[in-house]
Amino acid sequence: MERSLNPVKAGGIETFETEVLIIGGGVTGTGVMRDLALRGIHCLLIDRRDLNAGASGGNHGLLHSGGRYASSDSETAAECRQEGEILKRVAPDCIDDCGGLFVAVEGDDPGFAERFPGYCDAAGIDCESLSPAEAREREPVLSDKLFAAYSIPDATVDPFRITLENVNHAQQLTDSLFLPHTGVEGFEIEDGAITGVLCRNTKTGGMRRILARQVVNAAGAWAMDVARRAGCSDVRLLYSKGTLIISNTRVTDRVINRLRPPGDGDILVPGGTVSLLGTTSDNVDDLEDIRPTVAEVERVLVEGTAMMPCLETTRFIRAFSGVRPLLLAQNGADGRSASRGFTLFDHQDQGLENFATVTGGKLTTFRLMAEKTGDLVAGRLGNSQPCKTATEPLPSGNAVRWTEPGFAPRFWYRRNDPTDMILCECEMVPQSAVDSIIESAPGAEAEMSLQAIGVRSRVGKGSCQGAFCSIRVTSHLYDRGVYDSEQGLNSMRDFLSGRFKGVQPVLWGEQMPQIELSEALHCSLMGLDQLGGKADEPEKGGTDR
Amino acid sequence: MRSVLANTGSIIDFKAKADELLPDGASYDSCLNCGLCSSGCPASGLEGMDPRRFIRMAMLGMNEELSSTPWVWTCTQCKRCMYICPMSIDVSLLVGLARGAWPEDKKPSGIVRSCQAQLLDSGTSAMGLRSEDFIEIIEETVDEVRQEDERFKDIQAPVDKQGAYFFVNQNSREPAAEPEEMAPLWKIFQYVGADWTYASTGWAAENFCMFTGDDAAWERMVRQRVDAVNDLGCKVWVNTECGHSFYTIWKGVERFGLEANFEMGSLVSYYAQWIREGKLPVNSDWNTQGLKFTLQDPCQLVRKSIGDPVADDLRFVARKLVGEENFIDMQPCRSANYCCGGGGGFLQAGMKEQRHAYGKRKFDQIMTTEAGYVLTPCHNCHSQIEDIGGHFGGDYHVVHYWTLICLSLGILGENERKYLGPDLAEVGL
Amino acid sequence: MSLKKGVPTADMGRDERHYSTELAVIGSGLAGFAASVFALSRGITCAQVGNTGAVAYTTGYFDLLGYCQDQWLDDPWRGLELLRESEPHHPLSRIDRKEIRAAFDQFTVALTEMGVGYTAPADRNHFALTPAGTVKPTLSVPETMLSGIEARKVNARTLVIDILGLQGFSAKEFVANMRSSWPQLSAAKLSFPDMESGGQVFPEVMARALEVSSNRERFAERIKAVLGDAQLVGMPAIMGVHHPDRVHAELQRLVGVPLFEIPTMPPAVPGIRLREMFEQAFPAKGLTLVPQQKVKRLELEAGRVMLYLRDSFGEMVIESKTAILATGRFLSGGLKAERVGVREALMGIPVIQPGSRADWYRQDYFDPLGHPVNRSGVEVDSRFRPLGPDGEPVSDRLFAAGILLAHQDWVRQRCGAGVAIASAYKAVEAAARLLQEQ
Repeated sequence: MERSLNPVKAGGIETFETEVLIIGGGVTGTGVMRDLALRGIHCLLIDRRDLNAGASGGNHGLLHSGGRYASSDSETAAECRQEGEILKRVAPDCIDDCGGLFVAVEGDDPGFAERFPGYCDAAGIDCESLSPAEAREREPVLSDKLFAAYSIPDATVDPFRITLENVNHAQQLTDSLFLPHTGVEGFEIEDGAITGVLCRNTKTGGMRRILARQVVNAAGAWAMDVARRAGCSDVRLLYSKGTLIISNTRVTDRVINRLRPPGDGDILVPGGTVSLLGTTSDNVDDLEDIRPTVAEVERVLVEGTAMMPCLETTRFIRAFSGVRPLLLAQNGADGRSASRGFTLFDHQDQGLENFATVTGGKLTTFRLMAEKTGDLVAGRLGNSQPCKTATEPLPSGNAVRWTEPGFAPRFWYRRNDPTDMILCECEMVPQSAVDSIIESAPGAEAEMSLQAIGVRSRVGKGSCQGAFCSIRVTSHLYDRGVYDSEQGLNSMRDFLSGRFKGVQPVLWGEQMPQIELSEALHCSLMGLDQLGGKADEPEKGGTDR
Repeated sequence: MRSVLANTGSIIDFKAKADELLPDGASYDSCLNCGLCSSGCPASGLEGMDPRRFIRMAMLGMNEELSSTPWVWTCTQCKRCMYICPMSIDVSLLVGLARGAWPEDKKPSGIVRSCQAQLLDSGTSAMGLRSEDFIEIIEETVDEVRQEDERFKDIQAPVDKQGAYFFVNQNSREPAAEPEEMAPLWKIFQYVGADWTYASTGWAAENFCMFTGDDAAWERMVRQRVDAVNDLGCKVWVNTECGHSFYTIWKGVERFGLEANFEMGSLVSYYAQWIREGKLPVNSDWNTQGLKFTLQDPCQLVRKSIGDPVADDLRFVARKLVGEENFIDMQPCRSANYCCGGGGGFLQAGMKEQRHAYGKRKFDQIMTTEAGYVLTPCHNCHSQIEDIGGHFGGDYHVVHYWTLICLSLGILGENERKYLGPDLAEVGL
Repeated sequence: MSLKKGVPTADMGRDERHYSTELAVIGSGLAGFAASVFALSRGITCAQVGNTGAVAYTTGYFDLLGYCQDQWLDDPWRGLELLRESEPHHPLSRIDRKEIRAAFDQFTVALTEMGVGYTAPADRNHFALTPAGTVKPTLSVPETMLSGIEARKVNARTLVIDILGLQGFSAKEFVANMRSSWPQLSAAKLSFPDMESGGQVFPEVMARALEVSSNRERFAERIKAVLGDAQLVGMPAIMGVHHPDRVHAELQRLVGVPLFEIPTMPPAVPGIRLREMFEQAFPAKGLTLVPQQKVKRLELEAGRVMLYLRDSFGEMVIESKTAILATGRFLSGGLKAERVGVREALMGIPVIQPGSRADWYRQDYFDPLGHPVNRSGVEVDSRFRPLGPDGEPVSDRLFAAGILLAHQDWVRQRCGAGVAIASAYKAVEAAARLLQEQ
């Protein structure tokens, strides 16, 4: 089959051809894209919004040792352990192998603490018992009410970096392509096969038709919706909303888990230069307008403070929410007890032979999910190449390195070029980073939005949450000719509105002077509250980090 | 431009250290990233750094970079950033930490040598002038003054005078390089009938040990001087108009919890008091040419120590001396003044190119006033402002207060006019 | 007023410095500065204390009222009537229009005399230029910014320049967004003398450099080289920090066409100008200015207000017959936001506020209604005395002014300077009355 990169315009509809269309630009979809590309297969990846717009951008970035699930789901726990080990090998640049602690504080069940090593043992997870004093020596901010502690091999992973690297590698391998803001409208089905997928460019409103031999639905929380559009009723998901908050600076070196069955506010995960405290778990009915709330923030904070009293006075700069797609078990289980495992649907019994859905699972197991999906799809295409992602290292692309906290400042400092001015002072993102993103990052396009640049870098992710850098980056883009109309200001407004969604529930203390200054800048100085143009569609289904 | 200096020594955890050292309620976490500090800092851009970046890098945990950046030797720790910060964030604290972490052999050798010289002799002179030589130079110079001017035939420069009211620390530059420059101050003391003394230990006014970031050496310096004042039972410690010398002893006494049985004052404030009391009847009659004067507020004395009250005294004295209409303030001034770039050991750090770049703002400030003379009480300011004048082509002269006071009183000797321009070479002789 | 006479010396007992005065102004923002201006003009002895917080971030524009009842206001005076109908508790609704005008007049005249020229408040708002190429309704603008506002009205052929290394200000951006209402705009980029490396440059540094005549001459030459047939030239606000009007006039003379400034993002010159002007002018007028120090404690005693503070040199006490609280909001530290609620930072005066933190903000950042927490603040009586928990004034001698006051949203309503200046005027008037009565 001919594959085409260049869209053919016919009757006002852009037409694209590919071997495999993947729906959903999260870590799973991009993982499938790379998996297939490593087998020599051309893919087209689409997302209604952008990369990591759903749960892949709305999680804590924990590379599970499996410890969290050791007590409840030893199969998932073992899977996490194995996958964690693989990723540490093939994608070391994306991973901070920081280690983790499980700690119990006064009031927690001593019985659970005693049983914990046994659970770990069963799942093959290394677990070292520490005295409370040893634990506090490693992490001095831990509560003095600690009574049990274990060290386990947790690590963290940068989900943005993984996603970008996946796409970048797939582009290099088979000229595969990623199209942002392309949402599925409907499927054209003939004789038990999907022959075309009709999409809408959510930015321009224009229609796109994608012709593919195989279609993979990796739409995460939207997977059920996408499957239904293809007439498949076998994907049944439970939506579990989780909210986390981000501190201004890194609080601990290691991942800190509460030593008790999973619950709200039971984990603090380092994210490079910051820490992420989470997570809540609340079932929600739909995916529209998912945003963190003050009540959720209070819940995680109260629980987190029991482990680390310093969180009481820590400056938090942002909250965010993701929706976990959990596979509905037979009995109406709640979000915590539903399986964190994943399922691959081949939809054969739904009468479709070239459609597959992969959903559920975890960030840690995305590679395995992609492998299983890749095996199915490649097999259907008659491609007998084996999966290579467990051994082939993820290359490090030039334009995709900017999401790692702390990378940009070190890069900039070493480069020592005074003309490479810093545009985002909080995260110290230099002009050269923004330039490389708009030139060649996955999903780069003309008139690239600030939000899209933000997904691909640390722009707007520091303590000012975009207040200053949005202005500097916008001016830079006008200067470069990227914008030549009101579009630049509209983009700035949309970016700041998006940031605010996450800022709003953590506004107190030191974040209040910051937001007062921000409002003065954006309204009084720039006049963004009185722009004529229509604001972009509000973010749906989550607030990214 | 980035210097070849590099720290290969220990790496500090800046954020953790700052959390330990900051007073309650203060926090680097409250930084708004607005950049007022960097905008108002003459060291911004040197070595690719500025105060905002320094804070951010500390918050981002870039300890290796901060421990090694030579920028810490171009920041004079003048605390202007803290002064203009809406959140009162003190960057100089982190800079001091970073300086201290450099291995001795990697620190700018000029500063280290100055500190080492101070530690060698109980006189505490950074120029290595030993106490016995200091005393001998004083004696010789006193003799010369007595011979040259009949009015001062009985002038004294007492050393170790028990119970004297003022204990005077003398900057080493004068005894070591230009002893005749000591005489005007002695004349002023005689004129007002001050009861004062030098000492044979702890007599020098400079303290480069603080600039090396070596707290123990700083403390040793201060202790030596405090002991000397206590031993002589003096009431008030003053120095030769200097800034950092005041700050180091005043701050040092507090920081190291020393027992000082005396007060510490700025000599210029005493000039002001003596003028108010009529003991020092200066006027500007000599300034018939309408020569214009401006004034450098020493950061260490004004912003970092006493604040605007001493800035007021500096101006009161200056206006009396040169005439109200002939005094032109630099802008900004007083507590908001720019450091000239001579402080913090920068002059001794061997980073000439950076120091000149730093001094450009000061030079522009001076040029704006169109003054022909810059009054600089502080010795470091004096040297730096002369140097940038030469470098950027400024046609001005740099003088101490004592020169003008004696000029005004008609008691400035012929050989005490080194820093006056030709327009004043003959005036009042 | 008296400073304890003698030489400031540091002894180990750290003798506290003691000042006494008729009026203590707490806060060094626009309201605090305005209060001092009004007090000095009434011959009241005055001490002013406080960090200059938000004033450093100002555009330089003094808004009276720009937005009310869902509309942008051409006529702010008519706007005040609308405001009175819809928001009777708004501080500006509680002050007579004539007094607001008098306050604005007096304040802008005082600034002009002190060296930063401001336009006299007129009957209509200016639609002033922003760096984004949008406009904002405002009442009084720095003289250095006026000709651009006029030029837009007549679509004058105008060149806007930006400067190599100056971030957040793009002439192309300004032109792209302004083009529809001002077609005869063009953009150019210049490098600033001695700052040609391409590295970051700050407006403040350029502004100070332009105070030197040789730098002005060199910069003017560069402007002339790109001038073409432009009738005016707009540039970021860099025309001097001290005596900007002199720098402006001098540069115009050198270039040969009218020049105007456009505000820039922080750290920007207009705020630094005001701050340094006040720090310079007030002490010369006999005001005791304690810059960059916050009052740590305020005690109300019989017949006097005691302020306790501490600077690097030690303790300080200000004893005053009256005091005006002009401590601002969150940014300047007048209000503190805790997880359980907003409190007034210095004395714990009750703060009018939304029921819970969940109600502080609306979902949309740019919601034209603004955010409820922005209307929180201190309640005052008709004499601008803050009210205590019992609804009675906290003290006869304590007054409040500025954006610390409740029932206004200075950002959305474009009324920050209006609230600051007018309420300071009223607070000083009330303090003067009390001083007179005694």
